[in-house]
Amino acid sequence: MSKGRRWVVPLGWLALLLVATFGMGQLEGVFRWIEADSRQVIYARADFVTLLGRHLLVVSVAAVLAILLGVGAAIAATRDWGRDFLPLVSQLASIGQTFPPVAVLALAVPVLGFGTLPIIVALLLYGLLPIVRNTLAGLEGIDPGVMEAARGMGMSGGQILRQVELPLAAPVILAGIRTSVTINIATAAIGATVGASNLGDPIISGIVNGNTAYVVQGALLIGLLAVSVDSLFSRLPLAGSR
Amino acid sequence: MRLEKSGPNVVLLSLTLVALAAWLGLDTVSVAANRIVPGTGYRVDEVIGAGGALATALPWLALAGFAWRPARRHLLLALVLVVLMLSALPAWLALSAVTLVDAPQARLGIGAGIWGVLFLLLLALIELRTRLVLSRLLGWALLLPPLASAALCLARWLEPLALWQEYRGRSGQFLGAVGEHLLLVGVAVGASLVLGVGLALAMRRWPGVQKAGFGMLNFLQTIPSIALFGLLLAPLAWLSANVDWLSALGVSGIGWAPALLALVGYSLLPMVRNTFVALEAVNPGVIDAARGMGMSRGQVFRQVRLPLALPVILEGIRITTVQAIGLTAVAALIGAGGLGTFIFQGLGQAAMDLVLLGALPILLLALLVDALLGALTDILRPGGAE
Repeated sequence: MSKGRRWVVPLGWLALLLVATFGMGQLEGVFRWIEADSRQVIYARADFVTLLGRHLLVVSVAAVLAILLGVGAAIAATRDWGRDFLPLVSQLASIGQTFPPVAVLALAVPVLGFGTLPIIVALLLYGLLPIVRNTLAGLEGIDPGVMEAARGMGMSGGQILRQVELPLAAPVILAGIRTSVTINIATAAIGATVGASNLGDPIISGIVNGNTAYVVQGALLIGLLAVSVDSLFSRLPLAGSR
Repeated sequence: MRLEKSGPNVVLLSLTLVALAAWLGLDTVSVAANRIVPGTGYRVDEVIGAGGALATALPWLALAGFAWRPARRHLLLALVLVVLMLSALPAWLALSAVTLVDAPQARLGIGAGIWGVLFLLLLALIELRTRLVLSRLLGWALLLPPLASAALCLARWLEPLALWQEYRGRSGQFLGAVGEHLLLVGVAVGASLVLGVGLALAMRRWPGVQKAGFGMLNFLQTIPSIALFGLLLAPLAWLSANVDWLSALGVSGIGWAPALLALVGYSLLPMVRNTFVALEAVNPGVIDAARGMGMSRGQVFRQVRLPLALPVILEGIRITTVQAIGLTAVAALIGAGGLGTFIFQGLGQAAMDLVLLGALPILLLALLVDALLGALTDILRPGGAE
């Protein structure tokens, strides 16, 4: 595949997402057909651009923090001075994988209250786990011979980390980040039930009021967002193909 | 990892010190006059006075001492101490209930201090289990004394505990919700197992099916659950309105039908992937040997390939089941019932203990299923248990 062609699919999804976001109002006829009895068929409490922006903001803040903390923690646990923590960190990451995202979100609310903050914290906590697990797997999976050779060449610990370990582990780490972000886009939508306003809003409002058109609008945009982001990740140069 | 090191066990030491800080610095319980008003928090020293609070620091210091000199004997003592402290947490709640709660309407909430300490003590338990190389079964057995203590305290003194009151207000409904949750998960996993194995077999025979099938299932997996549930509402509502036998079955846009469809859709990918990989990964030499012994194709599949692939297939069932337990919680939004109902009801009424009543059992269920199926996989792995 040529260099330019690989971006065709993700850019196509992205364009579709933008067209759907900006042009939802033009589709009134279609939604009128779905939901013939309702007075209003286009979700109007907030415009879709704002909702998409808030959704992206929450997910990306949580993702950046999760990447910094997760990769940092995994690097710390594989250094000589932090190796004592390795068994606990890796067990915690694998046990944490079994926690359902909804339960984590629901448990964050009693502690942190309603609003955007608990969602960011819940997404951060949940998003950490795949990143930690994959970073550990990536760093631990490096051939000891390679490390030996790097040390033999006189590289310092920091140099080995930057020039050998991280580049070699990058595909696995990236796969973890991809899992984390994909799950979080979905979980953030459920966050609409705890008072954050994002693309989950039209869905919840539609389910509550029995207005299928709202549900379809929210679901369409979240679906397009998730697919665009996922396909962007799959085309990144370092990512292994599935 | 079982080195008897001379230096301190840094992990246990830091867990202990952080837990001690959480225990003395955060509110351990809160008392609210009724269900609606927010409660007042109480730290340890506000319940039993400063002297008492200092006394409760003693076991922590002992634990830190054991961590400082982590010989095997000391670690065993530390393990006993951690189990005792876990068992003491419900007793602390009971003590608080007796001293702080006087009005019949008042409710006792569990504070951040207790949750933090519980979490850190469980981490300490995992760390000690790993260091002492205890078996999985023994690790679980260590949780029995704390559970027994919790049961005893609930029965005798913890009448005012808010979580317990929420439960007692709807105990029948709670059991029904657990039943619905398990039924949905069970049917979804069962259906996706049958479909998944069939699909994996088809993929092995026709490579075209493989590419298209994995592409489709991967795509489905990226669509957020809430969106998929939402998108199924309209078509199912239309079907139930226009097809008589479907509506007679109880299929409608809301309820179990869209939930089950979405659950099966999500469950297929891990199931098919693991089954396919497991069947492919069987060593060709083994298959050759079996054919050489004169086994027929069917015999090779049933007696060689399937048993060898079974642990990886079970792994797929485990992942699928754990995932389905979480997704079923979301399905409560479209009226499918289950434990998620309490979460969303609680969020709607801002009744946090009701949220806990839904979220905690879901968490426990996921952990339990994960542990049970994990143990089963270990046993079935060729060569037996670990």
